[in-house]
Amino acid sequence: MSVCRPARCLFSRAAPTTLPKPSPSPLPFSSSAARHHHNRPRSFHTSTPRPARHRRPHYPSIKADDLKLLNQAAQATAPVYKKSELSLLQQQYTPDQLAAIEAAEAVIDRKDLYIQGSLRTDPWRLPYEDDLAEVDPVTDIPDKLSPESIKGKKTFREANALERDEAIARIANENMAKLYPDGVPEGQLSEKDQQRLEEHMEAALMQASMDPRAVYTGPNQKALDTLADPRHSRIYADLPRIENRMMRQTRRLASDEEEDPRQKRLLKYLDWDKDKLKQIRTKTLVVHGVTNQTRMGKIQSMYFLTIAGNGNGLLGVGEGKSVEPEEGKKQSVMAAIRNLRPVPRYENRTIFGDLEKKVGATKVQLFSRPPGFGLRVQHLIFEMARAAGLHDLAARTPRSRNKMNVIKATWEALCNQKLPDEIARARGKKLVDVRKVYYGGSVH
Amino acid sequence: MSLVNLAHVCSHLQNASKARLGLTSIPVSKLHVNLMLGLQREGFLSSVTLGGTTPPKPFLLQPTTSPEELETMADTLADEPWHAYPTLPESQDGRKAPPSPLGEERVFDVHVPLNPARRRLWLGLKYWNNEPVLRKMKLISKPTRRIWLTSEELGKITRTRQAGFVKGLTTPGECMFVTTDRGILEARECVERRLGGMALCRIA
Repeated sequence: MSVCRPARCLFSRAAPTTLPKPSPSPLPFSSSAARHHHNRPRSFHTSTPRPARHRRPHYPSIKADDLKLLNQAAQATAPVYKKSELSLLQQQYTPDQLAAIEAAEAVIDRKDLYIQGSLRTDPWRLPYEDDLAEVDPVTDIPDKLSPESIKGKKTFREANALERDEAIARIANENMAKLYPDGVPEGQLSEKDQQRLEEHMEAALMQASMDPRAVYTGPNQKALDTLADPRHSRIYADLPRIENRMMRQTRRLASDEEEDPRQKRLLKYLDWDKDKLKQIRTKTLVVHGVTNQTRMGKIQSMYFLTIAGNGNGLLGVGEGKSVEPEEGKKQSVMAAIRNLRPVPRYENRTIFGDLEKKVGATKVQLFSRPPGFGLRVQHLIFEMARAAGLHDLAARTPRSRNKMNVIKATWEALCNQKLPDEIARARGKKLVDVRKVYYGGSVH
Repeated sequence: MSLVNLAHVCSHLQNASKARLGLTSIPVSKLHVNLMLGLQREGFLSSVTLGGTTPPKPFLLQPTTSPEELETMADTLADEPWHAYPTLPESQDGRKAPPSPLGEERVFDVHVPLNPARRRLWLGLKYWNNEPVLRKMKLISKPTRRIWLTSEELGKITRTRQAGFVKGLTTPGECMFVTTDRGILEARECVERRLGGMALCRIA
């Protein structure tokens, strides 16, 4: 502001702004123009002030028209039952079930269903997609019926020849009616159709002669009908066999799969199934011959050291020794799987701080490293880190590099880590993962 | 400021922890007392008590107010809350003050010998899950070679990087104590207050 400007023009506007807002009932003699002038903020500059940006609402405002469209779309995707549909439902469901369906439909807001409803992708979703509209021959087995549901007498006797022929004719007719719902074709037929008709008739007759209703007869017709009803069968109908090349190739007979008693014992010990065992990766890292000097002479055998891991925080080390190389290897693999122990991992990629472990003359130092560092370690530790699912690690073996001891020391160090929360509990202090705080918890 | 004695204290505390001792004593010096109070603040020690050649009486063996007495005290305080304020020990006339209606005050007194040579600092060691809380304690500055660190270097060290010839604090929960002109402080506290000083020891 220039000094030349009189102070009067500054103070002429200063007074109203310092006062509170004008009262809701303005004095009768104050004109509207004057009030408008009073409400304006005082300007200290000669230039016109820039208008303030409009404040944005916290939530986007939805217009009424859009909301209507949304409601219409929701109605279209999840319509209300019409009367005719309701009567159809009444045929299918009991009144209790219908009431439950209506209550469930009333609970769910259609708009929510339209906006938020989606197919589940989480691992706990049901293993099938089904609106229960069709009958699945595998999963939807008809209800079993007990003999109590048959009214009247339940006595049968063997049918004589006359009765049997009559029954066969009747059942064959029924079967033909099932095969040709529109009636058996009559008149002159083509050779192919004629042949098919004959085949069908033969099949219907054959089926009828095999039907128990043709063999037995009795005074109660309802009881007789139950003979052919699969719901009264002691055994359900066979499950349909799926035949394709894939199935044939992957099918295994019980005789093909040799049951290893040691593996069976291991599975029992671990309380696992075979699929879980297949996910474990094993690798034999140390193989060498050992000799036992006895009175008879030297006995040569093989020593194996195997590691096992699931690549996701489990690691085991096992040893085996036998005169038979195969046997020794199997021993070590089984021992490694049996010895699987959890390896705590920081962000599922590296270790919590630096570790050091000494076994015999071997010392192993393990260092945690930032993301993307990789496994810059010697081959034995590399294999172990890969089996345990560690991705960023550095290591040093400053002293002896005996293979067996390196593996054992690494395993001990990885499994017996001091975790920060345990340290915090021990000291009675609060420890905070700064990295997690910095990235707002979205580290991995 | 003898770092020789501090070295002895370091190894003594390591040995005592390995032997699973509950209470141990070290010679008294201002450095030791301040460092041990720092250790207690960081949760490595359960108690730091000045005492004589015999260990101080444990808290549980000292006379305490009974629950009945506490109850009457609470009742009187509820009725006459002004008794919560301390009274003068002797009135100005020279007469003894009347006994407090709250009952006699219990003071835990620990016998400290007059002879400073006979004083010891008694430390309570901590264990968790059958493991000592204080496992390693090592000097950084040596009697023959003191190491001074600036706050920037300390910042590097607390962020697990090496600074000077001092390795970073890489093992989880590792602490470092630094003696500064504001007293003996933990390295992270020094970084927070932007102080430098002489590095004393590292503890894990």
